[in-house]
Amino acid sequence: MYEQLEYLKTALDKHSELKFNIVQSYWQTDFFRFYQSQTNYNISKENVSLTADLYKGKKSFSFGIDDPTPAKIDEALDNALCIIDNLPEDPDFVDVEDNLSLAEPREIINNIDAIPLSMKTEILSSLSESATQHDFSLYGTFICNFSRYRMINSNKLDKSSSTSPIYLEIKAVHNQSQLTVMETFGGDNFKYFDLEDFRSRLMQKIEFCANDVVNVDEGKYDVILAPRCVAEFVQYLSYGMSARALDQHSSYFEGKIDQMVFPETISITDDPGDPEMIRMEYGSDGHIYNPLKLIDKGYFRNFTCNQYFHHKTGLPKNGNTASCLKIATGDSSLDAMIGKVKHGLYISSLHYMNFINPKDTSLTGLTRDGTFLIEDGKISKVVMNLRFTERIERILKNIVVLENRAYSIPFSDNYESFDIATVKAPHALVKGFNITSSTNTI
Amino acid sequence: MEQKIKSIISRLNTADIQFADVRITITDNESISFINGHLRNYGSSKGSPALGIRVLINGCWGFAGSKDLSNASIDRLINKAISNAVQGSKFLNTKVSFPAIAPSFAEYHHQPRINPFSMAKEEKMSYLGNLAEAIKPSGKIVHSYVAGEFVRQEKYYANTEGSYSHTSYYNTLPVMMVVAADSGQVQSRTWPGHMSAGRAGFELFYEQEFAENTDRIMKEAIDLLKAPTIKEEKADIIIGNGHLALQLHESVGHATEADRIFGMEISYAGKTFVKPEMLGKYQYGSPIVNIYSDSTDPKGLGYHPMDDEGVPGKKIDIIRNGVLVDQQTSRHIAHMLGLEPSSNMKGSYADDFPLVRMTNLCIAPGKGSLDELIKSTEKGYLLDFTKTWSIDDNRNNFQFTTEIGYKIEDGRIVGIVKEPTYYGITKDFWNACDAICGDEEWGYHSTFHCGKGEPGQVMQLSHGIAPARFKNINVSVKD
Repeated sequence: MYEQLEYLKTALDKHSELKFNIVQSYWQTDFFRFYQSQTNYNISKENVSLTADLYKGKKSFSFGIDDPTPAKIDEALDNALCIIDNLPEDPDFVDVEDNLSLAEPREIINNIDAIPLSMKTEILSSLSESATQHDFSLYGTFICNFSRYRMINSNKLDKSSSTSPIYLEIKAVHNQSQLTVMETFGGDNFKYFDLEDFRSRLMQKIEFCANDVVNVDEGKYDVILAPRCVAEFVQYLSYGMSARALDQHSSYFEGKIDQMVFPETISITDDPGDPEMIRMEYGSDGHIYNPLKLIDKGYFRNFTCNQYFHHKTGLPKNGNTASCLKIATGDSSLDAMIGKVKHGLYISSLHYMNFINPKDTSLTGLTRDGTFLIEDGKISKVVMNLRFTERIERILKNIVVLENRAYSIPFSDNYESFDIATVKAPHALVKGFNITSSTNTI
Repeated sequence: MEQKIKSIISRLNTADIQFADVRITITDNESISFINGHLRNYGSSKGSPALGIRVLINGCWGFAGSKDLSNASIDRLINKAISNAVQGSKFLNTKVSFPAIAPSFAEYHHQPRINPFSMAKEEKMSYLGNLAEAIKPSGKIVHSYVAGEFVRQEKYYANTEGSYSHTSYYNTLPVMMVVAADSGQVQSRTWPGHMSAGRAGFELFYEQEFAENTDRIMKEAIDLLKAPTIKEEKADIIIGNGHLALQLHESVGHATEADRIFGMEISYAGKTFVKPEMLGKYQYGSPIVNIYSDSTDPKGLGYHPMDDEGVPGKKIDIIRNGVLVDQQTSRHIAHMLGLEPSSNMKGSYADDFPLVRMTNLCIAPGKGSLDELIKSTEKGYLLDFTKTWSIDDNRNNFQFTTEIGYKIEDGRIVGIVKEPTYYGITKDFWNACDAICGDEEWGYHSTFHCGKGEPGQVMQLSHGIAPARFKNINVSVKD
């Protein structure tokens, strides 16, 4: 299964002067995209690749090979050996990963086989029938990936892992007004997908859209952030929890280890083992991925830190990458939270956020896929999409109630590679959320 | 490869398949980065293959792609693309259709002045190492980054209408950045801004005068630490090329991708406020605003003799004298809108499904130099070099922050401001444009990182741009 990796390892074993980290991976996706309650396209893709990071003293060179063969490996290695001697050194490099701990074995179902296209279209047809009764059509994606890899390095690390994430995102769009609401499922075990529960949540949001559409003025609002919004803000916050950000002087958490930074109701953990989430076994360098407390009852406890930045910054190494974030729940039901709001907003989803200054966590972004007015403890109207300009620090400090239930929210990384990760979060009631303008659109 | 791709096409020329196309790409990549004066990464990937097969059956697209170009893989991909289309057609209301196009043939091979893959490695490392040394942390400069990313891609395309093309090109992305910090404040400056890529080889570093601008970005980053912010509610702003390319990209480029009109991108990139009935009527900008899509200019990254569904390269007006007149389309979408296809269908690699993409989206030059435009501005700001960007789902409400703003009083720059932020509504903003600089300031600004589609693709594309002035823009965001 990993013949090319072993071929490269054999070749590298002849060069005792080199340290190395090599990975062979196989990635496959079945990607169904739909619009107007019909197929847009279905894509099947696969890729086998081999990557190598070579180190000679403090000099390094990397190469990658798609569809590797012995001839391609020989050529790439010869090229690397010619180059590496003439490169400048990186004084901060010390060694490749030396954590040899292995994760507990677990059974992985290949969801591409388990959820064929015929099953996907059957589920979508069923949901489409429900949405059509309210003059809504379905848009979105239904994705199953399968990937496996094996990593070997010169410190005798030899680890393998597989994953098969599922991502279902359905947006229901009203055929005339374009009002849009969204429901998602994400995880690596389809047994947690309950079609009727999913339908019920989607239809409830569709029913909210029967209310009038209004615009609201800029200003400070009490808002209920849906779990997707809480998850996304915490994902952005986690940028500053990395040793890399600390090293670049752009971390909000610089100098704040063991300081109380948020109210004691806020706890955030990087937990790779929750069965309702997409799980992780190892970090990108092969360090075992264990649960890590990031914020514990308001106190900042740990930076995520790999081997390189461990040596460079002196922070403890953990191999975590904040890919399995969980935000602790509170003690209130969602209905009770809505009932507490006299005049405020329910925000379903966020769009196009970007930091203005990561050091102070200031950013701007927009609402999307269902923003609603809450009046006298009830959702009363649909609101046009809004722009906010905020600081994540302030949002977390202004959380007054957290829901007693958390939801596994899937996110796709659509830039450099197509990865899927989940964050588990509850609804949050936040006071004084800063709305800075309206988009005048739905 | 020509034989391979034509042999696949011959197998897809059957009565059941209304249309099919096949692409093969072979891509070389090299990336080098220095952090804080030290080489942090030098990586390469050579001859990376990709194959994609797209078929239209029963009015439904099916697609399969792989990096494996073996005969066994080709058999598997053909079967998978067909089964995807057949199964997908069982969940279909409206069949995809479009008129045939006469077959065409194209051969194009770009050569850079300095081939980044074959140049002496010592010269390359020495140049980048010297840049990194010049901006390495010292005093209030706490972090620095110098990088070069080099791409060569060779592409083969063939379809069942008989069209065939074989092209190759080199693109380069040079980057330089410093971060300054003091008393809890952090500010950054880049050169030459957010869209620094080009259709070129290593010569791009020389053409963009990287070595000549190291001192400038360090000084400006440090000066920004103590600079004031904009105090006014509204101001006239001139936007420099280091940022206007992104304004154009986000508020015109993506807004006029017609797949968004039909909701094909709702699940990720979003919709658009543009509606088909606006064509020929909608006053998108002021009468001096002329914006066009031009895949015929080989100086931009968006050049192609033929797009990824066989449409020959085209130059089309999108906004003429301020009025929206056309869209960026696929053959299917153009047919639905009653338009001619605009030659904007592209996939990043052959194993990516082609999507409606910007190619070279340009604003036509006006008159005069940037100096003349500043001199004619009584009070305002010159904003440049993108720092933060955000635009809504419908491409209507945007907010941008640039790295630096230069305060203008009585036609002269009198100081700088930090984190200048402006926001607005697309139509209002482009209708507030009262001046665009001329040919002497016009040039391509290009990116490697335009994200769209699922599975995600990052496209390399260009914007032809000249600095422009916008009147009475919101520049105050209440905290």
